[in-house]
Amino acid sequence: MTQVFVTGMGIISALGQGVGENLNRLQKGKSGIGSAKNLQSNYASLFPFGEVDASNEELAKMCASSTPLGRTDLLALIAFEEAINNASLSNEELSSYDTAIISASTVGGMTDADILYSDIQSSSGSSSYIDSYSYDAHLMNIIKKYKMKGFTATVNTACSSSANAIMLGARLIKSGRVKRAIVGGTDNIGKFTVNGFNALRILSERPCMPFDKDRSGLTLGEGSAYLVLESDEIVHNKKIYASISGYGNTNDAYHPSSISPEATGIINAMNTALNSAKITAHEIDYINAHGTGTENNDVSEMKGLTKVFDKIPPFNSTKSFTGHTLAAAGAIEAIFSILSIENGELYQSLNFKTPMDEYDVLPILEHKKEQKINHVLSNSFGFSGNCTSLVISKVI
Amino acid sequence: MMYIKDSYCISPQKTLTDKGISEYTQHEEIKYYAIEPDYSKFIPNSILRRMGKSVRMGVGAGLHVLPPSTPIDGILMASSNGAIEDCFKFLNQIITYNEGTLTPTHFVQGTPNAPAGQLALMSKSTGYNITHVSSGLAFEGALLDAILLMEEKVVNTVLLGAVEELSECHYVVHDKINHFKKEGVDANLLLESSTEGTVYGEGAVSFIFSSTPTESGVRIVDVGQILFPDQDEIIKRIIHFLDKNNFTPQDIDAVVVGLCGDTRYDHRYIHLINEMFNDQWIYTFKNLVGEYPTSAAFATWMSDQLLKGNPLPKEVEFRTSKKQIKRILIYNHYFDQCHGIILMEK
Repeated sequence: MTQVFVTGMGIISALGQGVGENLNRLQKGKSGIGSAKNLQSNYASLFPFGEVDASNEELAKMCASSTPLGRTDLLALIAFEEAINNASLSNEELSSYDTAIISASTVGGMTDADILYSDIQSSSGSSSYIDSYSYDAHLMNIIKKYKMKGFTATVNTACSSSANAIMLGARLIKSGRVKRAIVGGTDNIGKFTVNGFNALRILSERPCMPFDKDRSGLTLGEGSAYLVLESDEIVHNKKIYASISGYGNTNDAYHPSSISPEATGIINAMNTALNSAKITAHEIDYINAHGTGTENNDVSEMKGLTKVFDKIPPFNSTKSFTGHTLAAAGAIEAIFSILSIENGELYQSLNFKTPMDEYDVLPILEHKKEQKINHVLSNSFGFSGNCTSLVISKVI
Repeated sequence: MMYIKDSYCISPQKTLTDKGISEYTQHEEIKYYAIEPDYSKFIPNSILRRMGKSVRMGVGAGLHVLPPSTPIDGILMASSNGAIEDCFKFLNQIITYNEGTLTPTHFVQGTPNAPAGQLALMSKSTGYNITHVSSGLAFEGALLDAILLMEEKVVNTVLLGAVEELSECHYVVHDKINHFKKEGVDANLLLESSTEGTVYGEGAVSFIFSSTPTESGVRIVDVGQILFPDQDEIIKRIIHFLDKNNFTPQDIDAVVVGLCGDTRYDHRYIHLINEMFNDQWIYTFKNLVGEYPTSAAFATWMSDQLLKGNPLPKEVEFRTSKKQIKRILIYNHYFDQCHGIILMEK
C-alpha cells in the first residue's frame, strides 16, 4: 500500500513568513491577531484581524514577482516557493507529469473589490486584474511560472477547501496516477469577505475565543500554505515530516451556512478519517480543531468530539493565533499539526477563560513539551455543510 | 470503469427531454442563453426566488437525476465561475452602500459550493461532497475525482454536475480581452469565422455515474489534462493518453472537438484532426451551446447521446465517416490555456 509522505512545507500567516517564524510564535503563545494595517475597509478599525504583516509591495519583493499580482496570488506564491525549496524539488521534478498541483481559494481575487469594480465600470482596455478574480488565478500564475504539466485542480468547499486539496493529492498519489502532489490553499482579507462575514454577523469585536463560553464570533485571517506530498517510493533519503494517513469528506446536509446541532457531518468526517487511517479514536494524541469561535461551530464541534471520543484528547484551535484563514486554514493547520508531531509539543489555545455550559472540557491551556504525538486529527468545516477531517501521523 | 446511469442537460438547445436534440435551435447572437425547465416541481418557490441562475440551474439539473430525499454516495460539482453574478451583486452592494449594513444572501449564494451543498441538503446525502473550480478544467477534475472514488470502492453511485452561468459582468470584463465576437454570427457560419473571439454560452449538466454496468453500457474510460501546451505536446500527450488505455488513434471512431470560431485558437483542433484522425467522425458542439469553462460537460452529454443512438442535429457533424461509433474522444480547450481530454465508449 502506497504511503503519502510530507517532504516539504511552506507557510505565510499572521504569525510570519516561513515555518520557522510560525513555529516560534506558536511556542511563545504569541498571537498574530491585531489591528489591520493593510486592509482598506470601514471595518479595518472595528474588528481585529489576523493580517499578514506586509504590504503588497513587500509581498511582491518576497517572491520576486515582477508582474503585478493580487494579494491572494502573492501569498500563494510565497508559501509555494518555500514548500518546493524545503522539499528540494528541481525544475524537472516540478514540470514532471508525475507532479500534481492542487489548490484552493474561497473567493480568489474577488477580495480586491474596488479594483474589480472600476475594471467593470471603465470603458478602457484591459487591466492586470482582469483575470485575477477567478478562483484559480493564483494557481495559474504558479503553473505558468514553474511550467507545471501534471494534473491540476482547484477545489472550493468554502472553509474546508485546502483540507480537501490535501485529501485529493493524497488520493491521487495512492491511485498511482502521480508520484508527487503539491497541495494547499490561499486567501487574503479583503472587503468582499469582511463585508460577507459581517453581514452574517459572525465577526467578533474581540480576538476570537474558541471554545469559550463567552465567545463572540470569528476573527478573519489571511495566509497561504502548501505541502509537498510524495509517494514512499520516491522519497529515498529525503527528510520526511509526517504522513497523510487518513481522510474523511462528508456533508452535514443541514443548512447553507450553519452546522447541525447533531454534528452529523462532523462525526461522519472524523469517523471516516479514522477508518481510512485504520486507527481507533483512542490512538489520536492531539486534535487541531476547526474551532472558529462562533457560537454555532464550537458547540457543534464539541458535540461531535464527545460522540467520537470516549475521552477527548488534548485539543486546541490555532485560529486563536492566525484568525480564520478560510481556504488556507486546512493547509496552515496541517502544518501546525506536523509541527506538533515533529517537535513533540502541544501549543496552547489562546483567549480561553470559561468553559461552555454544555461541556466541561478544556482546550490545551499552556505550551506542553516532551509529548509523544503519533497521530493527529485536523478538522476543517465550511459553508454548505462541507466537513473534512485529516489524520496526520508520525513516520517512525 | 464509470458508467453513465442517468443524465439531464440544461443548455441553449432543446435538451430537456434527454433524448438527444430533435429540434435544432439556430443562434445568431453573441450570448447563447440556456433554455431552462420549470423548477417548481422540485424547488419550493420560497427557495427558488433567492437562487441565482447558476445555483438554480445546478440544483435544478441535479434534482432531475437525484430527486429530493434520495441519498447518494457522493456529490461532485464542477463550476469555474460559480455564482459569479451573485458575487458581483454583493460587490456592487459593498461599493454602493459604502460597506453599510448588507444582507448576506448574495454572499452565501455566491460561494461556488452552494449547489453541491444545496443538493446534499435536499437529497439528504451526507457522503463525499466537493466542488471543482479550476477554469477550463473543473469538469475534467471532478471526473477524475469520481473515477478515484469508484476505484477506492468508497462509492457505488455519485452525482456529478457541471454548471456555468452567462454573467453580464463576466461578459463586460472578458470582452475587453477580446474573448467574445463584436457582432453576432449565424451559428452555422461560426466555425468558419475569420475574426477573433467566440460566442458566450451557459448551461448545466448532471450525471449519475455508477460503478456497475448500465443498460446502455456507456462509460467514461479515462480523463486527462494538458496545460499550456505547444502543438507537438498536444499530439504527444494524446498518443500517450490513448496508449495508456491500450488504444491507438485508429481505435477511436469519433472525435468531439471544441471548435469555437476564434481564429486565434481553433488551429489547435484542426491540426490535431489533420495529424491524428483522418477517417473518424468529427463532431463540434460550441456552435450549439457557445463557449464556457465547463462546456466539456455538454460534450460528454452529447457523446452519451451519440453512443446511445439518440438524434442530434446535422450541424454537429463537422466531418462524417463510415465508422460505427463505439468509442469517442473529446478534446477541448478553454482559450488555449487548459486542455482537457475525455475518453468514452460503450
